[in-house]
Amino acid sequence: MNSFWFLNMGFVAVLLFIGIYCLLTMKNLVKLFIGIEVIAKGITLALVATGFAKNNVLLAQSLAITFIVVEVSVVATALAIIINIYRHTGSLDIGKLTKLKG
Amino acid sequence: MHLALLIGLVVFSVLAILLRDLLKAAISLAVASIFLAIIFFTFRAPYIGVFEISVVAGLITVLFVSTIALTKSEGDVKENKLPTFIFPFFFIVFIIIDILVMKSMLGKLTALTGSAEQRTFGEVFWNQRTFDLVAQIGVIFAGVFSVLALFRNQGKKDE
Repeated sequence: MNSFWFLNMGFVAVLLFIGIYCLLTMKNLVKLFIGIEVIAKGITLALVATGFAKNNVLLAQSLAITFIVVEVSVVATALAIIINIYRHTGSLDIGKLTKLKG
Repeated sequence: MHLALLIGLVVFSVLAILLRDLLKAAISLAVASIFLAIIFFTFRAPYIGVFEISVVAGLITVLFVSTIALTKSEGDVKENKLPTFIFPFFFIVFIIIDILVMKSMLGKLTALTGSAEQRTFGEVFWNQRTFDLVAQIGVIFAGVFSVLALFRNQGKKDE
């Protein structure tokens, strides 16, 4: 693989690190979801960069479009759940979601 | 040029997770999406670039802003300040490890086999990945029905 692909993969790893750091340290539900979005950006970049390195951009694009459609569906559902959680608990703090705690 | 775009993408992603104001964080995420879309255009992948701008930078940002507007009044969460302060340390350590790993792997991985595509995007998308489209329609319906179900229950409780 060429160095250009490695450059892109290096930045993909950085994006994954940022997203995972957010998931591990933040308490706000919307912030957590922003972390998931950052991870999703890294995955999309990895797909298209690999397609470009393999000289197969068209297939990579169609796969990335499928990924984005799934991502939008997940975002819509998760944000609806977040609004419902806010209406139930009056807060976006993940620490207050203790109703299912055993 | 490409490196600058990648750095811009990372900078705005970092801002998106570190900014305390959720609205500013959502807008930073949208700007990061625009950087990513420009990167896709430099990869000669215009379809996914347009999709990234219209759907991720547009639709998802609207969804985030709507959610923030609906939950803003009392939803401020007291975040621990420590993760924000120690983030630069972990970030620099990770970048050093990342550079070392990528340098060590450079030249060791064999090139992926692939040949230049002769077809058009339409042929690949509609003919080769037809099954993906069926799955996409299913996922969209699942998303729509789940959102409807979540808000319908809430409406009944309000009555």
